[in-house]
Amino acid sequence: MWNAAVHAEYLHDHSDYGFDVENVRFSWETLKAKRDAYVGRLNHIYRNNLDKAKIQFIQGFARFTDDPEPTVEVDGRKYTAPHILIATGGQPSLMNDAEVPGASLGITSDGFFELETLPKRSVVVGAGYIAVEMAGILSTLGSKTSLIIRQTGVLRNFDSLISANCTKELQNSGIDLWKNSQVKSVSKTDKGLEVTLVTKDAEKNNGEEKISTIQEVDCLLWAIGRQPNTAGLNLSKTGVDTDERGHIIVDEFQNTNRSGIYALGDVCGKALLTPVAIAAGRKLAHRLFEGKKDSKLDYSSIPTVVFSHPPIGTVGLTEEEAITSWGKENLKIYKTSFTPMYHAITSRKSQCIMKLVCVGKEEKVVGLHMQGLGCDEMLQGFSVAIKMGATKADFDKTIAIHPTSSEEFVTMR
Amino acid sequence: MLLIRTCRLNPTVSVSLALQRHSFAVLRRNNMASDATTRFDFLVIGGGSGGLAGARRASELGANAAVIESHKLGGTCVNVGCVPKKVMWNAAVHAEYLHDHSDYGFDVENVRFSWETLKAKRDAYVGRLNHIYRNNLDKAKIQFIQGFARFTDDPEPTVEVDGRKYTAPHILIATGGQPSLMNDAEVPGASLGITSDGFFELETLPKRSVVVGAGYIAVEMAGILSTLGSKTSLIIRQTGVLRNFDSLISANCTKELQNSGIDLWKNSQVKSVSKTDKGLEVTLVTKDAEKNNGEEKISTIQEVDCLLWAIGRQPNTAGLNLSKTGVDTDERGHIIVDEFQNTNRSGIYALGDVCGKALLTPVAIAAGRKLAHRLFEGKKDSKLDYSSIPTVVFSHPPIGTVGLTEEEAITSWGKENLKIYKTSFTPMYHAITSRKSQCIMKLVCVGKEEKVVGLHMQGLGCDEMLQGFSVAIKMGATKADFDKTIAIHPTSSEEFVTMR
Repeated sequence: MWNAAVHAEYLHDHSDYGFDVENVRFSWETLKAKRDAYVGRLNHIYRNNLDKAKIQFIQGFARFTDDPEPTVEVDGRKYTAPHILIATGGQPSLMNDAEVPGASLGITSDGFFELETLPKRSVVVGAGYIAVEMAGILSTLGSKTSLIIRQTGVLRNFDSLISANCTKELQNSGIDLWKNSQVKSVSKTDKGLEVTLVTKDAEKNNGEEKISTIQEVDCLLWAIGRQPNTAGLNLSKTGVDTDERGHIIVDEFQNTNRSGIYALGDVCGKALLTPVAIAAGRKLAHRLFEGKKDSKLDYSSIPTVVFSHPPIGTVGLTEEEAITSWGKENLKIYKTSFTPMYHAITSRKSQCIMKLVCVGKEEKVVGLHMQGLGCDEMLQGFSVAIKMGATKADFDKTIAIHPTSSEEFVTMR
Repeated sequence: MLLIRTCRLNPTVSVSLALQRHSFAVLRRNNMASDATTRFDFLVIGGGSGGLAGARRASELGANAAVIESHKLGGTCVNVGCVPKKVMWNAAVHAEYLHDHSDYGFDVENVRFSWETLKAKRDAYVGRLNHIYRNNLDKAKIQFIQGFARFTDDPEPTVEVDGRKYTAPHILIATGGQPSLMNDAEVPGASLGITSDGFFELETLPKRSVVVGAGYIAVEMAGILSTLGSKTSLIIRQTGVLRNFDSLISANCTKELQNSGIDLWKNSQVKSVSKTDKGLEVTLVTKDAEKNNGEEKISTIQEVDCLLWAIGRQPNTAGLNLSKTGVDTDERGHIIVDEFQNTNRSGIYALGDVCGKALLTPVAIAAGRKLAHRLFEGKKDSKLDYSSIPTVVFSHPPIGTVGLTEEEAITSWGKENLKIYKTSFTPMYHAITSRKSQCIMKLVCVGKEEKVVGLHMQGLGCDEMLQGFSVAIKMGATKADFDKTIAIHPTSSEEFVTMR
């Protein structure tokens, strides 16, 4: 969907590059059909991969049983092993109807992928990366989109430069951003949903609240967090500990408190990213079945990309985290901000912002943060360097590649 | 307006009056024998990437600098190279998106492309850059001398520009280069063709283009022309393009060119060119590679409105009167320098395209800065490390490369000491498009620790992907360093840290 949104951005810029087009029509249906077909091919490929590896595939819902030895039951059949891995992932959280009447009239990201047509009027609730991505896709593809956030910026756990810049880019792109706001209630009318919002006045800070409504909403999307899939597992039979939200508690080797039972991925609630789950899974396999006792995943310096418009790349500590760890006097921050050459001849503009967080006399790079065209493919290589302990001097020794946006990272002053 | 200026590096110089046309004060030796020669600390011949970077850094370090430029500030890069090339490549990417729109659910009608609109905007952008570069010089109080410099007979290295003489204890030659043309003696009618300089003067999209050459400029020019809608042929003397790149890149790029609709003529050369009232007629001679018996086939391409020679570049040294200085050049005119950019004449230096080594803007810039630190900050060891220079070719899709090719690594270390990792896949972007392009990646690793000495790739996104990996490779990254790094999903770049 992000790739499709990028197409929409190119459409917008075509005339600046000398291309005149007429009669632009977008068919969500066409796109969805092709996307679904691709996902279907992947389902098939994944099944083939299991078969080729002679891994038995059992379709069904697993529940732990009463048996003394950890055992699961699926559709009446029982299965066990000396090593059982729980990797049941998570699901999007919904606001409950008790707290917010009519909340269940909205969908989550799961529902987003079931949408059959582009919503005319969308309201996305949340300030995390999923909210940012969903709002960006909907808006860029042509849905009039509002984004409701409880505070004043999105991505509040990211570096403040990213948080501020992303919030600005969202607004610049035409998304109707509601700060200091929450959904109070949702009701259904024959013209669509009516979403009632309550907004705190941040300036007055006197508890005054303003009530507003957004009418004729055909898509209300809750992107307010995710929760682990542990409820239906009958975990209590095993004695495996979970936290108050249901995440399975593990040590650095992915061990639960029950010998022979392990967990990783979204169900543990830490670094909810596919490559993290993949890497942890492989490390566990080497530990259990190749005797590599020390095999575990290093969860530090995990690079992430947010597919916003333009995309965000980040790895390592935020400036705020680095100040906490080392103190401001031990940090050197390098920043830059520029208009990418792509926009030199377009009326639509986006910025590229970059920050290096460096520590100590040798200026070790402990954090890299950026937003801008191309940042999605730009981050991986810098992550390798940072994992190796790169310093600012290492960056500066490297000859720049011209003309790119990436070269700005090795020429910062 | 009279400005007084002191030269911090030469305390014996006295201050004198300003010359007529310039608003800066000039410094003059107390030696009456040298009449009206303006003296600087650092005199730079050439206002392109290398010259400007060297002058600006020198000025920051306290040197009184001047830049002489015969054409436009910014040199090749800004005016007829990197910058306008990238604008055209960006336009070609638009054309590719147009092609794929319907696959992504977008129906468009009546697509019309106006080269004129694009050129006007591109030229305006370049014009803004010329202006910015001039402002940068002015802000740095670097004297800008417009004109063509020639060395004089004076015993001390001196140049003359429009009748005025200039000298300095340190003179940098950064005059760059220009595209080579085939000469009419060898190929009758060759001068009916243009070079990359002429490409940027084209007022309209050629209907029928013929590009000659197999290097990156030929590849980029052919790619832009073809993707923007010109029926394009590419004439190469052997069987692949980019023959000095890793063989995986050479083969893949050649294939992608053909897949994109470029009419590739292997084992071919232009024999002659003639003008008709319908355009140019280009006569080619093609060797039969299979038979290898000297048999040649003659063909003609008719109604060509653009013949573009992209057969190499040559240094701008001919008009400099270099012989007056005794500075050595090679047989092609490149100025010979050591690793510190010294020529064989003390006080004269050279860098950038005029030296013929690593013809890239960032290389010239880096060399210029290193030289400035050596001459004006006393950093005796300041020089540019020319190893592991990363490069991107703006083909379709783009190419990224840093370090040794597999072939070079075999020569240096022997095949038995190498481990090659390769992958090839269709990027997710193409999962739902009918038009496809591949992404190919190769790591060349040496020794037991599998140190990565070469990285080569072609595919969507490779243009912005390379810089970070170059930092890691410069640091001496091993395959294990790559593998330790968590992948970023879904991207193409992640394939580099998950190779088996």
